[in-house]
Amino acid sequence: MPERLGFFTDTTVCIGCKACEVACKQWNDLPSDGGELRPGGSYDHTGELSASTWRHVRFVEMLEPAGGHMPSLPASGGNGHDDVDLVEMAIDGGDRWLFMSDVCKHCTHAGCLDACPTGAIFRSEFGTVVVQADVCNGCGYCIPSCPFGVIDRDQEDGRAAKCTLCYDRLEDGLEPACAKSCPTDSIQFGPYEQLVERARGRVQALHERGIETAYLYGAADAPGEELAGGLGAFFLLTEPPERYGLPAQAESPLEEGVVPATAAAIAAGLVAAAGVAAAFALPSRPAPAKQLLSRVRGWPR
Amino acid sequence: MSPKRLRLVPAVGTRGGPASWRRHRKGAPVAGHREGFDDGAWSFLYGEDTEYAVDARGEALEAAARRARTGPAPDVVQGPVMKPAVWTWEVPLYFWTGGIAAGAGFVALACDIAGDETSAATARRVSLAAVAPSPLLLIADLGRPARFLNMLRIFKPRSPMSMGAWCLTLFANLMAAAVGAELAGRKRAARALGAAAALAGGYLGSYTGVLLGSTAVPVWARSRLFLGPIFVATATATGAAATRLVLVATGVPEGHPTRLALGRVETGAITAELLLSQINERRLGGLADALEQGGAGKLFKSAKWAVRAGLAMRLLRRRAGPASHHAASGLYLGAGLAFRYAWVAAGRSSAQDDRAVAELARSRR
Repeated sequence: MPERLGFFTDTTVCIGCKACEVACKQWNDLPSDGGELRPGGSYDHTGELSASTWRHVRFVEMLEPAGGHMPSLPASGGNGHDDVDLVEMAIDGGDRWLFMSDVCKHCTHAGCLDACPTGAIFRSEFGTVVVQADVCNGCGYCIPSCPFGVIDRDQEDGRAAKCTLCYDRLEDGLEPACAKSCPTDSIQFGPYEQLVERARGRVQALHERGIETAYLYGAADAPGEELAGGLGAFFLLTEPPERYGLPAQAESPLEEGVVPATAAAIAAGLVAAAGVAAAFALPSRPAPAKQLLSRVRGWPR
Repeated sequence: MSPKRLRLVPAVGTRGGPASWRRHRKGAPVAGHREGFDDGAWSFLYGEDTEYAVDARGEALEAAARRARTGPAPDVVQGPVMKPAVWTWEVPLYFWTGGIAAGAGFVALACDIAGDETSAATARRVSLAAVAPSPLLLIADLGRPARFLNMLRIFKPRSPMSMGAWCLTLFANLMAAAVGAELAGRKRAARALGAAAALAGGYLGSYTGVLLGSTAVPVWARSRLFLGPIFVATATATGAAATRLVLVATGVPEGHPTRLALGRVETGAITAELLLSQINERRLGGLADALEQGGAGKLFKSAKWAVRAGLAMRLLRRRAGPASHHAASGLYLGAGLAFRYAWVAAGRSSAQDDRAVAELARSRR
């Protein structure tokens, strides 16, 4: 059996070019979700991962106008004579954009995989989580079962779809389309253990350079602190996960709760059946308290 | 090119993704390909000759992740964090019909134990009538209804959806067989099949709560241990109310022990439902907003008032006559339906509440 393969997405070198999104759509023959330009809104027209967007470069806008107005820069049509030191601005860290190429996490404890009643979602020989589109009947249970909001049902097509980590390319020994297209190596692909080692080195290098908020989201956690058992596609982040629309802690909801919930439900079912039988066994006369209440004048108001 | 002729709609793309992967030509070589993902491993940033390739100690890394992922949530949560369920009106309606079927199954079993064979037969028919549209509703909600049989492709104890599909199949077949046996005059077989169906009904009436509770939706997930009991209470109340109304319609006289017992069952079950909901809402704290505001809140409130009105009318039955009690049964049925819709709607707004999702995630540790 081949080793586990995954993605390491280093957000510190992402430039937000969206080449990965385009490459993904092109390789997997996925349609556009349509874009909407909102005045004053985000430049990120994609918005979120969906059934036809399997890679999504999230723009985390942390740009705040300095002194009430945006600096006049040549790029934004200004004359560029404002006394702005862009390097200083970047180092200060207050005014900046973060980019993060989001993707299916290919969790070790995958909620969608646990939820799928048809067996359409399976774990491949590469340790990835893949939907078999020829089996999926579109029941939609995987969607609320994913704590990361990745998988979605296509409204027109009716089936659930998400990143396959380019299962077809992996079978041919090729790296996934997004990783292949990434111009800055923000998206790295490879055997999982190797990637984690590389990511550890990268975080340490960033720490040494003074970016102490850098951390790995989804890999190299202490035992018991993993996200969904460890993410096959993990990230290097510099801000709290919520800034990127990620939950700070996550676990497959079924792994976590289906046993106690089922126990409570079955116990309640038995109690209900017994209660019904007991109600039939009781002598047929109304309780005196109720009789009393029904005699109270004006009850109920 | 004039602007009119400019086509902005992309010409590519097939929805739903690739259905199957097949090489155009078996064993065809791929240009530029190196064994063992070697071409993918190449990196100008991370090659061994760069300064990034350093040995890292684990503790600092774990501590950095811990710092970012524990403690209070940051002020800004840039969502969406998760996606709401895509289910439409068919699903809550199925929760209701399935619940009535399960509740009527309990009633049939109790009638048999108490020795009232006629009422038991009626209850089984009510149950069958309620369970009959259930699979159709579920199939209508599928993205690909033609593939509904895939639900029975595997048996997966971990997935409440799979177990529910199997349980519904089992229950519907047992109940149909019981009614069939009754028609064929085999009373003992009908009783045995009805009892077996009631046993399956214990799960049919409650698994829908497990189904919702085992998702990542905050308001459902936090109600995990209560949803099953709440749903089975609603099922029992609506099942008893439906059976009671049908018994009345088929001419079972007033004061008949079965009618009295069913009155007790519906009142007890709906009171238990109301109590459990109240306790659960208290427990939820801020997450209960999803149950109290918006469309779900309105449904919840009207369901609760319907229950209260029903309870009042039942207390008044001695004065206002049996019609008041029948109206109470009708109100319970309506309240049950509203509760089902409210829970599904609350899940939708709760999943879209990014802050609630983020804070629930933080509260795990």
